[in-house]
Amino acid sequence: MHIDRYERQYLIAVAAVLGLFFAALVSSALVFGVRLPQPEGYINPLTLNRTVFANPGMRNMGNGVYDVYIVARMWAFDAGSDEKDERGQDVLRVPVGSTVNFYLTSADVTHGFIVERHNANIEVLPGHVGRSSTRFNEVGTFHIQCHEYCGRGHQNMYIKIIVEPADGSAA
Amino acid sequence: MQAVQPRPSSAPALQFPKLSALTSERWLVGSFVFVALLAISIGLLLGPAQAYRRAPALRWDIPVFSYYYQALTLHGVLNALVFTTFFIVGFAYFVTQRTLQRALASVQLAWASFVIMLLGVVLAGYAMLTGQANVLYTFYAPMLAHWTFYLGLALVIVGSWVAALVVFMTYFAWRKEHPGEAAPLAVFALLANYLMWFSASLGVAVEVLTMLLPLSLGIIKTTDPQVSRILFWFFGHPLVYFWLIPAYVSWYTMLPKQYGVKLFSDPLARVAFLMIMIFSIPIGVHHLFVDPGISELAKAMHSLLTFVVAVPSLLTAFNIGATLEKAGRARGGGRISWMWKQAWGDPLIAAQICGMLVFAVGGVTGMANASFTLNNALHNTTWVPGHFHTTLAGGVFMTYIGILYWLLPMLRGRALFARPLATAQVYTWFAGILVFGMSMGRAGLEGAIRRTDSGAVGAYTSEAAAPWMNLSAVGGTILLISIILLFTVILGTLFVSKREPQTAAPILVRAPDESPRWTENWNVWVALIIITNIVMWGPVLFGALNWVSGFWSTPYPMQ
Ligand code: HEM
Ligand SMILES: [Cu+2]
Ligand SMILES: [Cu+2]
Repeated sequence: MHIDRYERQYLIAVAAVLGLFFAALVSSALVFGVRLPQPEGYINPLTLNRTVFANPGMRNMGNGVYDVYIVARMWAFDAGSDEKDERGQDVLRVPVGSTVNFYLTSADVTHGFIVERHNANIEVLPGHVGRSSTRFNEVGTFHIQCHEYCGRGHQNMYIKIIVEPADGSAA
Repeated sequence: MQAVQPRPSSAPALQFPKLSALTSERWLVGSFVFVALLAISIGLLLGPAQAYRRAPALRWDIPVFSYYYQALTLHGVLNALVFTTFFIVGFAYFVTQRTLQRALASVQLAWASFVIMLLGVVLAGYAMLTGQANVLYTFYAPMLAHWTFYLGLALVIVGSWVAALVVFMTYFAWRKEHPGEAAPLAVFALLANYLMWFSASLGVAVEVLTMLLPLSLGIIKTTDPQVSRILFWFFGHPLVYFWLIPAYVSWYTMLPKQYGVKLFSDPLARVAFLMIMIFSIPIGVHHLFVDPGISELAKAMHSLLTFVVAVPSLLTAFNIGATLEKAGRARGGGRISWMWKQAWGDPLIAAQICGMLVFAVGGVTGMANASFTLNNALHNTTWVPGHFHTTLAGGVFMTYIGILYWLLPMLRGRALFARPLATAQVYTWFAGILVFGMSMGRAGLEGAIRRTDSGAVGAYTSEAAAPWMNLSAVGGTILLISIILLFTVILGTLFVSKREPQTAAPILVRAPDESPRWTENWNVWVALIIITNIVMWGPVLFGALNWVSGFWSTPYPMQ
């Protein structure tokens, strides 16, 4: 099969560029530790009360690391907080510089989970536990939204995480 | 040059009129095109309405369909599933007959495909219009719609399988009559498209038949959302290539004919189509990068193959670019100036070239989507509709409209109505989709979430995203003008135009001598499709099965 000379050179360039892109991706995962959610275990959505999700909420793991267990259901994230916002939804608080591991599952349909301006993103499926970790380097209030259509109240399904200055003064 | 031997032929000889269509073509192809146009007459108008609803400065109610997700379901299903499938099947019948210069192998089966697909649209349309199927065009379990929705979509797919069968039968009959001749490129590409489509739609067929349909009928009470998503996206990515290949057919075989030049490389075009056919299925996990039930290794491998499937599109860029260079030079262009010495005033050609330019933008944003770790930042933000409105509603849709502008006059037997309006339609769409796609993309980077009724009371749009969402409504307005122009031209051609049609179908009936024959080893391709998908999807499916509480065991939540 005849291939034009310029086209052959072009193909080599294409392969090189794509290869470079992919190498960058692999190093983002292996060298810089950017991770995607991956199987954290199965769970029966009808008996969440017999699992760690019976008590959703934040656990201080020490060294600036927090584990947060959240149950998504139509149409709220139950993060186990005592503090609520003006809509009656949970509010989370962490000191700046914290690394937070989010663990999510759903009690009903498929939901989503995304933290504004932070690369934490999960499809929250009933029957599965999803995990995503992120570091909060910036003081401020960030919305955590449901990003998968889950019915009539989907657009109102969001909570807030408040990142406070390390000395504990109000943000 | 080989001399063309007159062959003893059993084929029903058809004399195709140059500027108009045979009655049989007119009815069959016309019926498919008619349903396609009906679908977008509702589906398109909802687009700007959604943009107005979501713009923080407007937050307007959507007319008629006040429930945002009902409108969004209609917009997605009517534009992306009904319009596309009907247009493609009708176009494939037309191109097959004209290119192979013979009748379809079975006109009865061809009509059967139409009736089955139409029945499907009626059933699904009933469920959607009555608000009993607000599940969006991806219909993820365990959210449920009325059973007519699933049965209807299943029938649309089954009907398209019948259509694929008719085209293959016609090709094999032609093959017998033309031993040793390579199939013309357009038909070769459509065969590859149908083979890919058939293989891929098995996934969604299993999902609908074993999960959604029995659930919606109350026959079973539990399901598995992760498995249903996997089966859907086994189908969902090839779906986008099913839309794209007919547009490529137009760029590769019709545009050169319209310009009166030869395609730069016929063999490499075939390689591109084969690569798309084989590599578009084993990459669908790129839609599931943040799903909890799939390993990172599988995600990385599907990401890698997604980069591979970019190759045929980059090959296309070269091949079509070189062909456009020939055309531009023939029009008096030089080394560089061939780029702007194109037929910008001809809506049939401008629609395709503008389509290519927007599609290139979509290709770049698509590379970002394909990058698995970047997905943390992009998944389910408005970046994604920003991306596919440049590919699907941009490159593909504009090319289909470019086709419609010669096909509709032939089918109706009247010249295109108000050609300058058609040209204006092309450029307004081009501008509108660029503004809309860019602003949705930026809004997504600033945190706006897709598929969210952000105009509703209490819904949240980040401050940084708000100006971009407002700009997307400006894009939507330019597109609304373009929609009005589009329907003016269509209705004018159907009911007002009195002149005889002016343009012949840009069909190439013979492959050039350098066309390789090995590309038509369909058995080998089928085997390759089966093997790559067992390797790439087998572990994904197996790994997602819920071994703890049993397969299909997630209860359907009572609302
Ligand atoms: C006429 C110009 C159009 C405008 C202004 C427009 C606008 C929109 C908007 C604002 C959304 C989504 C919003 C959201 O995620 O909440 C959307 C979604 C979508 N559009 Fe369009 N659109 C147009 C044309 C098209 C065309 C021609 C097609 C396909 C042929 C198309 C296919 C889709 C699909 C598949 C979705 C996704 C639906 C979903 O997420 O379930 N659109 N469009
Ligand atoms: Cu939701
Ligand atoms: Cu895809």
